[in-house]
Amino acid sequence: MTKAFIAMVALLFAIPSFAVDGTALLRQVDRNLNPESYESYRKLINVEPDGRKKEYTLFTIKKGVDKVASVFLAPASEKGRSTLRLGDNMWFYIPNVGKPIRITSLQSVVGGVFNNADILQLDYAAEYNVEKVEESGNEYLLYLKAKTKTVAYDRLKLWADRTKKLPTKIECLTEANMLIKTIYFKDVKDFGGGIARPSVIETDSPLYKGYKSVIVFAKLKSKNFKDEVFTLTFMPNIESLR
Amino acid sequence: MTRDGLWTMEIGPMVLVFLFSLLSTIFGVLSLAAAEEYTIDESEIEKKPYHIGGYAELRPTLFGLDRDASLYKLRFYNRDEGATLEEYNAALQLEGSLEKGIARLFVRTNSDYRNSYLGSHFNTTIYEGFLSIKPSSSLTIDIGKKTLKWGKGYAWNPAAFVDRPKDPEDPEQNLEGFIVASADYIKSFQGALKTVSFTPVLVPAYGDVNDDFGETGHMNFAAKLYLLLYDTDIDFIFLTGGSRTSRYGMDISRNITTNFEIHGEFAYINNFKKSFIDSNGNNFETRYDAKSGLIGMRYLTERDTTYILEYYRNGTGFSAGEMRDYFSFINIAYDTYVPTGSDASLKKAANITAGNYGRPNAMRDYLYLRISQKEPFDILYFTPSLTGILNMSDKSFSLSPEFMYAGITNLELRLKASFIFGDRLSDYGEKQNDSRVEFRARYYF
Repeated sequence: MTKAFIAMVALLFAIPSFAVDGTALLRQVDRNLNPESYESYRKLINVEPDGRKKEYTLFTIKKGVDKVASVFLAPASEKGRSTLRLGDNMWFYIPNVGKPIRITSLQSVVGGVFNNADILQLDYAAEYNVEKVEESGNEYLLYLKAKTKTVAYDRLKLWADRTKKLPTKIECLTEANMLIKTIYFKDVKDFGGGIARPSVIETDSPLYKGYKSVIVFAKLKSKNFKDEVFTLTFMPNIESLR
Repeated sequence: MTRDGLWTMEIGPMVLVFLFSLLSTIFGVLSLAAAEEYTIDESEIEKKPYHIGGYAELRPTLFGLDRDASLYKLRFYNRDEGATLEEYNAALQLEGSLEKGIARLFVRTNSDYRNSYLGSHFNTTIYEGFLSIKPSSSLTIDIGKKTLKWGKGYAWNPAAFVDRPKDPEDPEQNLEGFIVASADYIKSFQGALKTVSFTPVLVPAYGDVNDDFGETGHMNFAAKLYLLLYDTDIDFIFLTGGSRTSRYGMDISRNITTNFEIHGEFAYINNFKKSFIDSNGNNFETRYDAKSGLIGMRYLTERDTTYILEYYRNGTGFSAGEMRDYFSFINIAYDTYVPTGSDASLKKAANITAGNYGRPNAMRDYLYLRISQKEPFDILYFTPSLTGILNMSDKSFSLSPEFMYAGITNLELRLKASFIFGDRLSDYGEKQNDSRVEFRARYYF
């Protein structure tokens, strides 16, 4: 009897403690941030150290894990410009210039702290593997590593709220762990349709001391689109989907 | 306890309460302001069925003239304009659209005002004006005046058979279109082949319609087949119909890494007719199948410097010898004019210059390099750049430094200079200007 009890206790301790499935958690964070396919309006605000601001308004659509497109609605100097991302492929269409040109994820079509990968953000799980998850207090800390060399940031440290499973902060790092920028997720808002997510994202960077960039979300809603709208040929017509 | 201490004891709490209230109010106002800052007004994203916009620009330019150059002699043989020329340009580009259901009407006009040594000149052109019908997201039909902008090159597009040629000195300027009927049919797939789109285009050239496209009295047909295959953009293009000789082309573009893109274009022009002149003024014509091509790349460094490099082989261009003959003929014609006053030969040279020797980069081998630095010294929205175009045949070249500032919403300021270098009888060495300085202020509305 005693031996059986000791064996049971030993077995109990031999069972591994519960470990968080990092990949599933990251997918959950992605889904809590956006439906897989959606439309939304965003305002990008670049704030300079002296408080001056420059604002851009965009209409954005996304489908599945690797298709996202945006068209600028304001200011007038940018109106009609559109961007398209299909996986690692990115294009930029300027109405005056005409044909869409290929752009790279590290460039920036708006200047400031944002680059093209930030503006045409895919699901994190589509671009990153989870290396490790740490739990502390009410937060998870996910260590993410880019799946390929074509991803804009080699490493991410993503802090997520344990209850809401929404990101609160992300540090974007180079392969050598140099901090490129920090993204703060703020003001969780109910967008309706079961979508409650941060409505404001602030970004700062040690590379742009004193500068801050902000993305504000509005009218985020689940919507399905045909694959054909995520093509080079359709880029001049993205605004017609509003 | 000192009087000061008493003051502190008696007044301190009140001051603290007051300060706290004040700070609370300030922070409250600030946080309210912050909340207001980071919202989107409904009016900003409301969709209207119509849109009116455009830009107005002012563009004064100063030219430094090369009085020994052939093209200076050709243009100014009967007038003396001194060592420099001033020119004042203004432009108004208006665009409007009206959308109802599956139909959209779009119009873009361009009005230019120029005040130069030739006097004042005002001109308005409809750049684009077409009706677009979109029965589904897979199909769009456009009828009217439209720019198609085919090709992948930044400075040149040898495979853009239904477009007007770009100015490599300012390739992002928009251009006047042609009257066409076109359609875009798009199909997406899963797998290595992600997208196929087909764009057939009818280009009528009858009477006044598209009379500058080529020989009139023809219905021309062009088409483009686009594939996104293995993450590579590929276009197959052709044009036939009679206004221009039939021609076939293809282009390709691909991102190699997150900061490195390559592209290329190829064009085969059937039975191309070349008109040229020798130094004695004898005209010649030759016909041959011309092959033009372009390879290029766009590279972004970690310091946000962008390099655009392109090599252009212009199969329809003139050889260095043919160009020397042309410049020599102008010089001989000018030498005849000076003592006799007879400008017949100069007028003949002017005739063969328009649309022939006078087109941008009329020779065969060119190299284009543009280096631009995004926001150096932490100056946001400021982009200095340097552009060089080298004629590889005669080693003449142009260098253009440029400073662009777009820090004020809807206002774009650009200061650009150009300097040209080259021996006598070379492509750039015989341009009428040695230098050019241009300021452009463009306001979008």
